[in-house]
This record gives sequence, C-alpha cells and structure tokens, in this order.
Amino acid sequence: MMDLDRRRLVISAAGLAIGGAATARLLPEEMLLRDRRPARSRVAILSAEQYSEGLTNLVLSGLREFRLTLREKTVLLKPNLVEYIAGVEVNTNPLLIGAAAEAFLKLGARRVVVGEGPGHQRDTYLVLAESGLGARLHSQQIRFVDLNRDELCNVPVKATYTGLEQLWLPRTVVASDFIVSMPKIKTHHWAGVTLSMKNMFGIVPGTKYGWPKNILHWKGIHRSILDICATAPIHFVIADGVIAMEGNGPLHGTHRHLGKIVLADDPVAADFTCARLMGLNPSLVWHLDRAAHFLGNGSPGRIELIGEQLPRQVAPFDVMPEFASLQMRL
Amino acid sequence: METAPVIRTLQETLESRQSRGRQWGFVGDQDAVEPTCLVILALRHHSSAYVERALDAVGNLQNKDGSWPAFVGDEAEGCWTTALVLLSLMAARQDSPRVNRGIQWLLEARGREANWLWRWKLRTVDNNVQFDPGKFGWSWFAGTTSWLVPTAFALIALQQASSHGFCRSVQLKGRVELGISMLLDRMCPGGGWNSGNGVAFGVPLAPHLDATALALLALKGRERHRGFQASLQWLVNHLAGCPSPLSMAWGILAIAAYRDVSPEVRESLHGRAEELIYLTEQTAEVVDNATLAICVLALEAITADNVFEVRS
Repeated sequence: MMDLDRRRLVISAAGLAIGGAATARLLPEEMLLRDRRPARSRVAILSAEQYSEGLTNLVLSGLREFRLTLREKTVLLKPNLVEYIAGVEVNTNPLLIGAAAEAFLKLGARRVVVGEGPGHQRDTYLVLAESGLGARLHSQQIRFVDLNRDELCNVPVKATYTGLEQLWLPRTVVASDFIVSMPKIKTHHWAGVTLSMKNMFGIVPGTKYGWPKNILHWKGIHRSILDICATAPIHFVIADGVIAMEGNGPLHGTHRHLGKIVLADDPVAADFTCARLMGLNPSLVWHLDRAAHFLGNGSPGRIELIGEQLPRQVAPFDVMPEFASLQMRL
Repeated sequence: METAPVIRTLQETLESRQSRGRQWGFVGDQDAVEPTCLVILALRHHSSAYVERALDAVGNLQNKDGSWPAFVGDEAEGCWTTALVLLSLMAARQDSPRVNRGIQWLLEARGREANWLWRWKLRTVDNNVQFDPGKFGWSWFAGTTSWLVPTAFALIALQQASSHGFCRSVQLKGRVELGISMLLDRMCPGGGWNSGNGVAFGVPLAPHLDATALALLALKGRERHRGFQASLQWLVNHLAGCPSPLSMAWGILAIAAYRDVSPEVRESLHGRAEELIYLTEQTAEVVDNATLAICVLALEAITADNVFEVRS
C-alpha cells in the first residue's frame, strides 16, 4: 500500500513537472519575465532641421527636462556606426554624438565614452575615420571603444527568447553606469525598423559572435534584440531623425528628411514614438510588441510627450514589400 | 624608404604588451587567439623567447576536436581562429600532432548551407541575398553560414599546409576547390569582395578593402579566373589614401603577393608602404595588438617574405 502511494506520488510529481514545463513552453515568454515597465515613460520630440553645432544646446536643454542623475556616472554612448557610404546618411551623425557627449559632461557625468561594434565591417577604425566620427571625438577628447574587440564578460541572459543562457558582452558595456542608445531612425530589410533596441546589436562582440554577429542572427533577430536589451538595459535614448532613411535600410535606402531628434528615458517608448513618426505601426514590429509587455511602455497612455506632440498625419516611410503591413494609412 | 626601424619599433611595442598569460589580447589583459597568432607571426624572426612562450600557451588552448576557441575562457566550440593558429604554428615550423588535428578539423568544418535542407531553403524561400549555397566555405563560428574572411583564412591555411607538406590528401584538394568556388561566387559585380555576398536585396554591394585583400591572397595562383584582374585593380585603385592601418596593411599584403603582375601594381606598393608607416606613427597608441602585428607583417612583405602568400 505504502509502495503504491509512493509510486503515485512520484508519477503525479513527474506529471506536474512535465505539464508545467509544457505549459511554460506554450506561454508567451514575457509572461515568465519580470515586468520592468515604469509607471510612465517620458519622451521628448525635438525639431532640428539640420546637423549643426547648435545641436549641443538643443540636446542639453532637452536632457534637462528629464532631470537625470548623472553625477559621477560613466556614460556610454552607443551610436549606430555601420559602414561609410559616401553621400549616404547611414550612421548616427557625428555632430549629434559630439553634442550628446558634451551635454552629458555638462550635466555632471564623470566620463563619457563612445562605443560601437560594427556588424559587417571588421575594420572599425576605418568606419570611424571615414565617417568623420573619429575626428569629432578626437577634437572633444572623447574616447572611442571598439566593442568588437573589447575585453569580454560572461553575463547571464535576463530573458528567454533565444535560449542562450549567457551572453559575452564587452567590459565597457558591463562597467558603464548609464547606457545611451543613439540610433539612426531607419527602416530595416530584416527587422522592419532599426531604432534604439535594434541598435544594441552593436554591443555584441564580433570576436565571439562573428561578423555580422552570425550566431545571434541564426537565433532570430527579433528574439536576439529582446535578450540583448533585457540583459544590457538601455537607460536613455537619443535617436537621430534629422535625416532618416526609408526603403531598403539600413544601408541602401533613401534619405527622408524628418527633422527630429527623439529623447526618451525608456527605449520601448522611444521606439514606439519613432515608429509613429515614421508612419509605421510599432505594434506590428515583433520585438517592439513583445518588449511592450515587459521591458517598457508602448501604449500612448503611458508615454508622456514632454516636447512636441506627434503629428496628426505622417506619410508613411517606404518599406520593403514584406513590411508593407507596417505602414499606417493616412 | 627604410622599413626595418619601423618594424623593430612596432615589434618592441608588441613585446612589451605580452600578457602574464604569455599571449596577447586585442586590448587589455584578456588573451585572445587572433591577436596572439598574428603577434607570433610578427615576432617569429626576432623574439624567440616571446614566441616560444606564446606558441606553448596557444597550443594548449586546442579543443579536443582539434579546433581552437576565440579567446581564453571561451566555450570549447571550434571557430575560424583555427586557420590562424595553423598558420602561426606552420610558420614557426611546429611539426606536431596539434597541426594535423587542426588541419583535419578545418577539412571537416563547413558553413551551415552545406546541409541540403538549408541549401534548399536558401534557394527557394530565403533568397533575398543572392548566392549559390552549393558553393560553401567556412563560417566564423559553428552552426552559421560561410563568410568571406573565415573562408579566405581557411583556404590560405590549407594551401600552405599542402605546400609545406603537412597534408596533401585528395580531401584537401577537393575542399580547397569548393572554397575557391565560394569566393568566386560571392565576388561583387565590379570586382572585389564585401564581407559575405556581392548582391543583397537586388543591390550590388561595395567591396571592403580587407576582405578583398584576403580573398586575393587566398586566390594566389588562380589569376586567370574571371573577375580576378578587376578585383586586384579595384584594390590598387582604392587603397591609396586609406586612413586605417588595418585595411592598408591587408591591402599591402595582397599587393605584395602580386607585385609581378604589372609595373603599376609593383609601383603602388612603395607609395602604400609610406602611407602605412605614417599611419602607424599616428595610431600606434590607439590601435589594437592584432592591427599592429598586421602592420609589421605588411611592412615585412615589402622586402622579405609574406606569411600569407600561398606558394605552389
């Protein structure tokens, strides 16, 4: 009798474990993750018709609205530095990066470092020099770190989308107190859009994951974005939409003069706002929709616009045919 | 133009940066296989103590399957650095079972598209990037598709293994031919190579200097292939004024291997060498150890041997 009860107990426990595991597999991943969404997120849309030295004052006054606590903090600016193509605005503009660096220092940051690990181009220094960013940073005595070749730290992944338990991340990223994602607002032929969250692919070191971060591409771009952003949280966003890109982005699209810079204290809120500025539906971008369930706010009701309001109507950005459904009808 | 003093200064810098682990990192203290192998090559004629220690240390990193990891502490999955380790071991005349096991791993490694299912998918459904998946090379890391740079390194290593007498099997010959066909398939429409393919989403991609140089080095002895001359010409034309020592050095290594092709190619070599010397003076403090080592190897290739040249 005793043996039978014990056997039943073991079988029941095993059944519960298997059932629980199966149920966990069927649930959306974000239901199993800690909800990190703030009660409200703040986003500032600032107008900037062109790239100029005047961006420093614009960014500084915009940042002051957020009342950030930066004293004694090490700030990492993560721009989008992909490749240099003459005459094409592919990368976050060096003037905006320089302006952000100066603004953070004026707000009390102990140190500002700029870091990036380009996806396809192994010669990071070449992109740095050709894009003009190297000269800009040199003139401001700001250090640049090649995140593809930095020292690496093994970090537990704080989401479950790729199935990876650990990520190797650059020491510069792990040691930073305040990470600022500085994307170029662009369409993307694989992901639909590339904004502050997609921009974080550049922190993943090529030394470990290849060029263009092959291992993570095979795990799925959207899934990898979610795991990366959950593991290396973005503290602030400064998105470059002065000249954006539509069509076959991120490299071979066409310029779209948007005349906007977007500042935000929540990357999900930033990306939802940027997508809306592009006339695209952020909820139909898989990683944005998922992120809005646990990483940050996507709902307009939880996003406070502290600068300009979103325009009532936007001519949607051109996209590759497979992303046509993202375009919001006028 | 005197390259010897510049080479010696760079070598001394590299010697001073050897870690306590007897290897080199890109920057800082974390030893990695790529910079260690390139520095071994850069110091092989001069600094025997440094080289011996490093060869011993990097040799001990070999995985059980014959491959090498990317850095100390990395998971024990083989990766593209295996080709680079083989090049450094062979250049140091290390005739050991390690070399043979590494060659065997390299012969069996292949991009993910080697699998028929992925080939079928890439031909029928996932075909935004135009290439022939039947022509596969080597990947950066296991489980991913072939890319240009790891394929070029693997081809250089295997061809040198053959010419040095480490391996002359039919399997090696066949694998090299397949890898060469991959390189030729992925060439950009006007010559030269990007990091992976020549055309994506219907758009021709622009070549990269370092990828083009490495592909040309891997194609030594195959100058009659269609697109070869255009690729060499593209490199010669675009290398002048390059602001980065890494790409400039790789470009010089490729041009040095083809200096006998034409007077124009030969003459361009000296101008680029002067530019590289200037670049190393400007950037020696900021660039990583792998880059400094490639600069040494490029300057050396102007007057002496070229470690990446494939000889029949």
